[in-house]
Amino acid sequence: MQKKMKQIYILLFCGMAILFASCKKDQGNYNYKAAEEISVEGLESTYTLVSEKDRITLDPKVTCTDPQAELEYMWGIYETNAQGAPPVLDTIGRTKAIDYLIKRAPKDWILVLRVTNKHTGYSKYLNSTLTIITEFTRGWYVAKDDGAQTDLDLFLTPVSIVPQGKRENIFSAVNGAKIDGRAKLLTYVSNYRSTVTGVLGATKTLFVTTDKDVSAIYISTLKQIRNMDNLFLGATPTKAPNAMFAGASANYLINDGKLYGLGVVEFNNGLFGAPKMKDAANPPYHLSDYFLYGARVESVLFDDLSSSFLAMSQGTASTMNGMSDEIRPGTETGMPANNNNKKMLFMGFKSSVPTGAPDNRDRVTGYAVFQDKTDPTLKILSKVEPYRTNIFLTNDILKTTDKLFNATDYALLVEDENVLYFVSDNQVWSRNLSNKVEKLEFTPPSGEQLTFIRHKKYTETNYSFNYVMVATRSGDNYKVRMFNKSSGSISGNPVFTLEGKGTVRDVTYISPAVGEFTYTHSY
Amino acid sequence: MKNLKYIIAFIAMAIMASCKQDAYYLFNDTARIQFGPDISFLYNPEASLRDTVKPHTFYYDNATVQQDTVFYDIYAIGGTSKNDRAFKLVQEQVPNAANAIAGDHFVAFDNSIVNKYYVIKAGSIHTRVPVIVLRHPDLKKKTVILKFNVVANDSFQPGEISNIWRKTEITDRLIKPLAWRAGYGKYSVAKQEFMIAVTGERWDQLFITTLALDMESYYMGTLKIALADYNNSHPGNPLKDEDGDLVVFP
Repeated sequence: MQKKMKQIYILLFCGMAILFASCKKDQGNYNYKAAEEISVEGLESTYTLVSEKDRITLDPKVTCTDPQAELEYMWGIYETNAQGAPPVLDTIGRTKAIDYLIKRAPKDWILVLRVTNKHTGYSKYLNSTLTIITEFTRGWYVAKDDGAQTDLDLFLTPVSIVPQGKRENIFSAVNGAKIDGRAKLLTYVSNYRSTVTGVLGATKTLFVTTDKDVSAIYISTLKQIRNMDNLFLGATPTKAPNAMFAGASANYLINDGKLYGLGVVEFNNGLFGAPKMKDAANPPYHLSDYFLYGARVESVLFDDLSSSFLAMSQGTASTMNGMSDEIRPGTETGMPANNNNKKMLFMGFKSSVPTGAPDNRDRVTGYAVFQDKTDPTLKILSKVEPYRTNIFLTNDILKTTDKLFNATDYALLVEDENVLYFVSDNQVWSRNLSNKVEKLEFTPPSGEQLTFIRHKKYTETNYSFNYVMVATRSGDNYKVRMFNKSSGSISGNPVFTLEGKGTVRDVTYISPAVGEFTYTHSY
Repeated sequence: MKNLKYIIAFIAMAIMASCKQDAYYLFNDTARIQFGPDISFLYNPEASLRDTVKPHTFYYDNATVQQDTVFYDIYAIGGTSKNDRAFKLVQEQVPNAANAIAGDHFVAFDNSIVNKYYVIKAGSIHTRVPVIVLRHPDLKKKTVILKFNVVANDSFQPGEISNIWRKTEITDRLIKPLAWRAGYGKYSVAKQEFMIAVTGERWDQLFITTLALDMESYYMGTLKIALADYNNSHPGNPLKDEDGDLVVFP
């Protein structure tokens, strides 16, 4: 019995020891004062400045809830978009008011203000985006040639979309030489990789495609980053560019009928690799100039050799995908997607509609004009509706009396009225795609030859536009008339006209807000 | 009750006795020697088993080359010495393998041509161990294995078991480089020969380890095209490897 008690005492002792140890007095330090707050007024979220010309002049109003506050200030700048290296903060001031002449490479930087209360050690950080621009980062760019060489004219737009002042032949003025070949297409992307800003990073690049070269130009300085001599990892292929465009997570180049891709996500130095194969057996193919780009879907291409549609889904895949006819209940595709014996005269982007969940893709609609390879008098206007690797074609067989039958240039009203513009007999016509009604839109004054038509629209405060652009040539001189439209038709006189020397093949508007998908990529 | 107490006490003692830490070498007993990675990886624990096997092929060398040297790194443990200290290497026969034959495939470790280099110099703890490999005609048809250990001698006791051996594979044929990537698919001599023929590059250890990602993807694209073209121009007779499998780039 005594033995048992002893054991119980030992157990009790152990239990008590544990209980005592667990009863530690709470020595917490609770502070019920309101949290300190530093508020800063007078700092915008973004500033757009011209390097070497504009100053950052700021004197923000700073208040602090701590009555004994002793405030210290630090202003700094660091660069965004540094890839492969941490950005470095450069201190530019230690006073509340700052007046600093900005000297930075043209791109986005972050302005940082740190306010520290020395009394408590509490700091507040504020960020603003500094968009550094140059004269070249805003304006109308005109790609024009003299039949053998291409150059750019820049029309400056300091206050509104209507130009004030121009820089003629600005490409050769900066680079010392023109671009070989006749101008074809302007393509602007912000995600092309180069080291022009000092580190490998996304570079705002204007690609000028001619029939003999592709020039990648850094928009902030207009210096050529590369051309076809050094645009490839391997040997430069035959220089016969068809088109350059941005697609879903990749930028594409069609050259000599072959497709090249640069993945936007994958590591690259801005150099194109091996051409894509049509399929794993590498049968011969030769792509048309024309393409249907998709920002979130496959880009659609057309093989002129086999008269077949092809799809390209990723920049890095080594092969394209074949396309099949989409099956729709109660109706049939207008002609097969493969081996349809047609030559593509034109294809362009018309519109795209998001599908929503769960696909979260786009349904893209384009239009194409085909000519039969056996019977040249058979011409077809097709509505082209790709989805994944299926395609549905709705055919409108053109009558030889249709003005569209003899068209030489085409322009779809992108994401606007259901109208196709075209040039026929040196006149600008429109065709209503719903009811096939054709209408004369513009006849140039005598002596002027039409060289280019395209529709572009853009939204930005003071700079929005929605123009049908019509270019003509008379002797050595060009005119690009910018027309407003109403109900799908050109309305009134041009809003303004760009004038210069050469033959115009493409016109685009660039600003710091423009990115790769601001405009649709299309001929 | 009393028995129970003894049993508990016994178990407690047994448990305590079993918790004895494994005795690592403390390296304060005697000078020891063992292989290690390149000196630049010495303090990187993940690299401790680097360089244990170094394949060597004479494939890329022209016919006048009859021998070459493969280097390994070896480290003395337990401090430096005022005198030069020789160490001793001995070949180990690998069971069920084509073992290299001294004089045919490599210069024997006790030959004075090499064994004069098997020394840790005074004041040093590291040296590079040259193994001279020989281009015997039979290497055109086979790959031999040379495994060797550093063994006890007057100056040194061997170090950790995992670090006292090194191996080389000697051949005059193409050999799978250690750096061969999964992205290239199954390794075969036929595939590597094809890659060399198409790209003009060696596709050996040095080439693969220094290949930039975008170049690698360019080469893969180029090889797929070349393979498709080869198969198209040899209808019914596509490129196959030495095992009879189709050569495929994934």
